[in-house]
Amino acid sequence: MSRVNPLWMWLLFAALLLLTSAWSLITGALDIPTQQLLNVIQQSLGWTPSSTIPIHFQITLMEFRLPRLLLALLVGAALAISGAAIQGLFRNPLADPGLIGVSSGAALGAVLIIVLGDTLLSHWSFFAGRWALPITAFIFGLLTTLIIYRIGTRGGYTQVSTLLLAGIAMNAIAGAGTGVLTYLADDTQLRSLTFWSMGSLAKASWLDLKVVAPFIILPIVILPFLSNALNGFLMGESVASHLGFSVRWTKRLIIVLTSLAVGAAVSVTGVIGFLGLVVPHLLRILVGPDHRLLLPASALCGALLLALADMLARTVVAPAELPIGLIMALIGGPFFMSLLLKPSFASNRTL
Amino acid sequence: MLTVRQLTIETKEKKLLKDINLSLYPGEFTIILGANGAGKSTLLNSLAGGDIGISTSLKQKGNIFFCSKDLKDWHPKELAKQRAIMPQQVTLGFPFKVHEVVSMGRSPHGFDRDAKSICEHALQLMEVDHLIDRQYPSLSGGEQQRVQLARVLSQIWQDNEEHDTKYLLLDECTSALDPAHQHHVLEVIKHFTVNNVISCAITHDLHLGSQYADRILLLKDGQLIADGSPKEVMTQANLRDTYQLKTKIIRHAEFLNPLVISMGRKLTETSMPQKTRRK
Repeated sequence: MSRVNPLWMWLLFAALLLLTSAWSLITGALDIPTQQLLNVIQQSLGWTPSSTIPIHFQITLMEFRLPRLLLALLVGAALAISGAAIQGLFRNPLADPGLIGVSSGAALGAVLIIVLGDTLLSHWSFFAGRWALPITAFIFGLLTTLIIYRIGTRGGYTQVSTLLLAGIAMNAIAGAGTGVLTYLADDTQLRSLTFWSMGSLAKASWLDLKVVAPFIILPIVILPFLSNALNGFLMGESVASHLGFSVRWTKRLIIVLTSLAVGAAVSVTGVIGFLGLVVPHLLRILVGPDHRLLLPASALCGALLLALADMLARTVVAPAELPIGLIMALIGGPFFMSLLLKPSFASNRTL
Repeated sequence: MLTVRQLTIETKEKKLLKDINLSLYPGEFTIILGANGAGKSTLLNSLAGGDIGISTSLKQKGNIFFCSKDLKDWHPKELAKQRAIMPQQVTLGFPFKVHEVVSMGRSPHGFDRDAKSICEHALQLMEVDHLIDRQYPSLSGGEQQRVQLARVLSQIWQDNEEHDTKYLLLDECTSALDPAHQHHVLEVIKHFTVNNVISCAITHDLHLGSQYADRILLLKDGQLIADGSPKEVMTQANLRDTYQLKTKIIRHAEFLNPLVISMGRKLTETSMPQKTRRK
């Protein structure tokens, strides 16, 4: 398949993003007329007086749908760009924050706070307050990445197959830890845990957004600067170093930044898998594997896809909701299998 | 000038290189010969300077100077503008197009204005310009090798105005090529070397080595056992010592350099595997 002109891709994504955003703002349990959406936008820009808009429309839009949409965009971008960067670093299109254990590690950290935040870890949750959850999730995500990276690296060189297998082991361990904590949890904690472990944006608020936005925006801004180094990495670490890239620093920076983004995302939405796998893969077909294009495009496309999936999650069984993690898994699982079945994949992959 | 002083490289178990001293000069095409495990790739990697930084299991004693500055003191980006390495094998599973792979060679220079014409020129030199829009993983082994060579050449491409000394290291760069392309590639490299470039290549092909090299280094068990022109180095005694191989050296009026004919190892009866006798 021939590639798409990058300019067209940007225009297409930008248009789709605007459309999806507008659409997801007006649809839901309460349908908002398009005119009212325009009114709210004009009003928040200070063009028209506020009295013309019914209060329930305004509250639904500003207090529920807008923060939720923004969170979906941020988390989608974070997961997709992290997926693309991790795949580049590990030289393997199968690496994904979910598969290599970063997400489940971060999830373990978050569950720790949810279950033990009032008792065993009360000092920490008191000290860190609203930040306890995202910070703990980030630390656990980072620890997981460091552990699998340590195991997969011998004498300075990273072995990808070992790394992926270590990821499977970490998934199991973190899963067991989460399981034990679930076992310990009381009824109310349990409800929030189950919903959360399936991934959901339902509890999005401006406060959540404020807490995690810096953790997510920072990696999205910095990662594209590492594009050239990542391109070099695809030919092996020694080739990258011969091209003048600092292999050690690039690796460290990518590991920290992706853990930051994934940890923050997981801490507010729970585990949403496969986005980091599916998005970069589709984009490699569309625009090629060059990270200078792939990274920003992944962020944009990930944001778009998660906003769409969240709209589905809200509307399919309205007024009830599906966990978005389930929707992504339903799309992502079969997609992953189709990757494995592709003949070109089997022939030129050195796992 | 590239100068190696008392270079010893060791792992915990073994000394890979023992007290190597040598100087390589611009315009000179040097070929390293030696048996498997003699330390050829280790020597090449230390000349590259980059690998030591990654690998934690190797210990280096002694120094390597390029333009009278220790390699360790070179900024990686600056060094990358003046030296390029062609590794034995490059695995790239992602669907990059050939021209994208070659243009990565220009990344140390920040993809300057000339990048495109340099890459095209390098692709032409390696006779892979017809593959420019193909996906790299779909190429044959020999084609991939030529594309990588084009990448490496474009990395240290000599402009007409530029007079910086550059150096080129090649680790078995002809291993996947047919005979015609083997000669073509070595001719190109030899030509490239003339323009203020230090070139150093590893090969196992004694013919190619002796035909194209200005200078040959013989390595055995991490030691430099011979260093000189092909005429001086390619002797029966040296080759027997290096490879345990019996050879005849022929000097032909048409060729400047000696021709080597391998006579095999002449294994004795006792060293051959014996047929197991049934009882």
